[in-house]
Amino acid sequence: MGKIKLDRISMRFGDFYAVRDISLEINNGEYVTILGPSGCGKTTLIKVISGIWTPTEGKVYVDGVDVTDVPMEDRDVGYVFQNIALFPHLNLRDNVSYSPRVKDLGDQVMEERSTEYLELVNMLARAGMFPSELSGGEQQKVAIARALASGSKMLMLDEPLSALDARVRMELRYELRRIVKRLGITVLHVTHDQEEAMSVSDRIVLMRYGAIAETGSPLEIYRHPKSVFAANFIGETNLLECTVSDKSKMGKTKVRLRGGPEIRVSRTNFNIGDPVVISVRPEHVYPATDGLRAEVTDVVFMGTYWRVRTIAETRDHVEYNVSTSDEIPEVGDMVHLVFNKKATVVFARPEGGIEEEIRLE
Amino acid sequence: MSVLKRIDELSGNPKVRRSWFTLACAFFLIIIVIPSIFVVTKILTEWDLVNNILSDASTMDIIMGAVWNSFSIAFIVTVIDILVGLPMAWIMVRREFRGKNVLDTLMDLPLAFPTAVLGLSVVVFWAVPPEGITVPGLGLGITPYMLVVLLHIIFTYPYMVRSLSAILEQIEPNYETAAMTLGASRWTAVRTITLPLFRAGLATGFILCFARSLSETGGTNIALLLMGAITDDGGTFFTGPTFIAWMKTAFGGATSPEAMGAMILISVIMIVFALILLVVVRKVMMGFRIPIKKVWPDIGRKVSRGLLPKAKDVLAMAFLLFVVLIPSFYIFAFLTQPTGDIDFGGLLSATGTSFLVAGVAVAVDIVFGMPVAIYIARNKGNRLADVLDELVNVPLIIPTTALGFSLALFWGSFGFSDSVALMLVVLGHISFTYPLVVRNLVGAIEEVDPSYEEIAITLGAKPFQAFRKILFPIIKSSVLAGGILAFTRSLGETGATVAISDSVNTIPIYITNLVKAGMAGEYTMFAEAAMCSIVLIAICFVLMMVIRAMSQGGDRDA
Repeated sequence: MGKIKLDRISMRFGDFYAVRDISLEINNGEYVTILGPSGCGKTTLIKVISGIWTPTEGKVYVDGVDVTDVPMEDRDVGYVFQNIALFPHLNLRDNVSYSPRVKDLGDQVMEERSTEYLELVNMLARAGMFPSELSGGEQQKVAIARALASGSKMLMLDEPLSALDARVRMELRYELRRIVKRLGITVLHVTHDQEEAMSVSDRIVLMRYGAIAETGSPLEIYRHPKSVFAANFIGETNLLECTVSDKSKMGKTKVRLRGGPEIRVSRTNFNIGDPVVISVRPEHVYPATDGLRAEVTDVVFMGTYWRVRTIAETRDHVEYNVSTSDEIPEVGDMVHLVFNKKATVVFARPEGGIEEEIRLE
Repeated sequence: MSVLKRIDELSGNPKVRRSWFTLACAFFLIIIVIPSIFVVTKILTEWDLVNNILSDASTMDIIMGAVWNSFSIAFIVTVIDILVGLPMAWIMVRREFRGKNVLDTLMDLPLAFPTAVLGLSVVVFWAVPPEGITVPGLGLGITPYMLVVLLHIIFTYPYMVRSLSAILEQIEPNYETAAMTLGASRWTAVRTITLPLFRAGLATGFILCFARSLSETGGTNIALLLMGAITDDGGTFFTGPTFIAWMKTAFGGATSPEAMGAMILISVIMIVFALILLVVVRKVMMGFRIPIKKVWPDIGRKVSRGLLPKAKDVLAMAFLLFVVLIPSFYIFAFLTQPTGDIDFGGLLSATGTSFLVAGVAVAVDIVFGMPVAIYIARNKGNRLADVLDELVNVPLIIPTTALGFSLALFWGSFGFSDSVALMLVVLGHISFTYPLVVRNLVGAIEEVDPSYEEIAITLGAKPFQAFRKILFPIIKSSVLAGGILAFTRSLGETGATVAISDSVNTIPIYITNLVKAGMAGEYTMFAEAAMCSIVLIAICFVLMMVIRAMSQGGDRDA
């Protein structure tokens, strides 16, 4: 119940492909986020899975059964909308019991299910209220209860949190994961917020230009991104252009940054002379007595640490973190920076340049 | 420029603003509302005349019959409009297809046809036309009642589709999608979710169509003349407005006490019923709940798939084509017939009069309606604004013939009479077009965030500057839309004009007189009436296109 397989799905509008040739398998009970910049085809994908749209090419399988041509009302896939879309003329209980009602399951089932799922999202006490009387976060909780009350084992979440306040967003995020994990439901959660994706999902599917750019667990993608785009889109990172200058038989690699300085990086398969890009996250850059020379341009207080922004002698922008207990540099200071070589990821330099590679649209 | 500057300066003074608003309200009350319902007071002052009619059984039969015809026809027409308008609204709002723009324009075209023209066209298309009309039609032996229903559907249908579409645009399409992902078939989703959210649109559409049908005089009159149901010395079938018009011409109107009593009585009955209806429809529509507790999933599924939904769309389109469009355009069949000489002088002078009346009325509507519209839109919930909001609807719902009659009595009691007939006609046309303009303005202004003007004023603009540089450019297209609506409505109006004066010869009256001459045996007059109609349609069409092009050009500049 709830194993989804997409086989070479394409969705075309006129000449424009919203998604192109996507194959993906999602396991029963897995929490998958589909992450990507706006316009990359994320929502198209879950609309195809839930039957709201029929793909122009490809097949959708649920538990091994081809459901591509099953209309959405028979798909049995819960769907939660970004703009919430609770029925404004029905109270919360009638909203949640809507699915049992239209399936004509009888008054008793309607009563039981609406009570069960309103309880699950802690909204039972307000069952008689109308959607307009609730805050955005409360409305979205009821919308989730409504989708779950259909009894579906699959839930599509279309940017469910992005219309909410920052604080509510954080709280609801964890509650969402708690609820669906308890019910053992398969979830596809579309978001453009990488932090949200990192904190809720079992697996992230990173999309771009209507195709899957990369998939992996949050930790994998954060630590070992396979592309410059992924490194930049998920978490924060410093990207520096350089050339491989030395490599041992064991794969130990050195690269030369623009303007001269040479640094050691992790093991790679590149050859000497290859143009590359290295990615190093701010938490893996440290001030030292020797190393890359950089001038501090900005110092920003972030709560638990200070973010120091610099421009290096290589003309690259490099950012790093300083603990609040340490000495804080001032704007204009010259500092020396070293990188944690194990945490440095090396990519082939993209042909269109870094700017083109990390562009969002 | 200096005049504008002076107004800019003056508008900085709150006293000036308040007096301008007071003036606009006074204009609305004294020129529009009070004259429209003045006839009601006559039932007291002229009680003897009315009493004579009440005791005259045969006249009472005619009056009550006419009132019944008017209200029952309006009701049937409105219900049909709702039934065929709903699928059409869905097609117009939720579907994308090639030729949608063409369909959009076609739908409004009947509004550009003066109803008198439609009356002629519809009779020739459906019924057995009188001797002398050579264009072949379907020649069905239908009753005057059915014919009037068919005629009224044509010019009420666009109003219904427009009001329903406007509401459907506002309803989040995700509601329906959400319902369907929860297992509802489309039919169930529409019935339990979208339709219950529709009530306001249904109420507006209902009132607009009902009032329009109740009011219509010119087209109905021509249709009934051609069917032989009304003749100069009697009639077998009247609607309320055509009865008033007939009384006015057949009995020499106000000069005959008998006609006076009957006209007062039927006007008052129509006005009072119409106003009661306005209130009742609101209440009923707002309280009405579509039953959603019980669903039938299997039936819902069956009617949501396969041929049925397609058949529904095809039927909706077929209705538009065969009941609305083809009968309206059938007048063009006269182009195939040989015509006699057309009296272009007479046509031109009538056209001139019509354009003058319509132009002045619309200009006055916009100038004096704007402050009232701004006040209503910006002060929702305020008592005065709500009262004004309701009052604006009054001239809309009152049958225009009764309104015109009432207006003539009101100004007549001040000694104004036929010597200033043209001015009185203009005042009459202002009354029934004012609500159309103000409604459009209120709708548009409500959409505009007031902070735009507030920002302009914090940047140093005077209130009038903020209005003409910020608010007006934003709502310009709505002003134009309301203006066109009012203009074409005025151009096509017969009832109010006839009821106010016999001497003002606007174009629908000119055409009616040609048809009457045709009925009297001068058969070439039918063809001439048709040719005049075609010329008039062409003028209206060109006018609409020019204004549309101008407004689009204006949008690009803005």
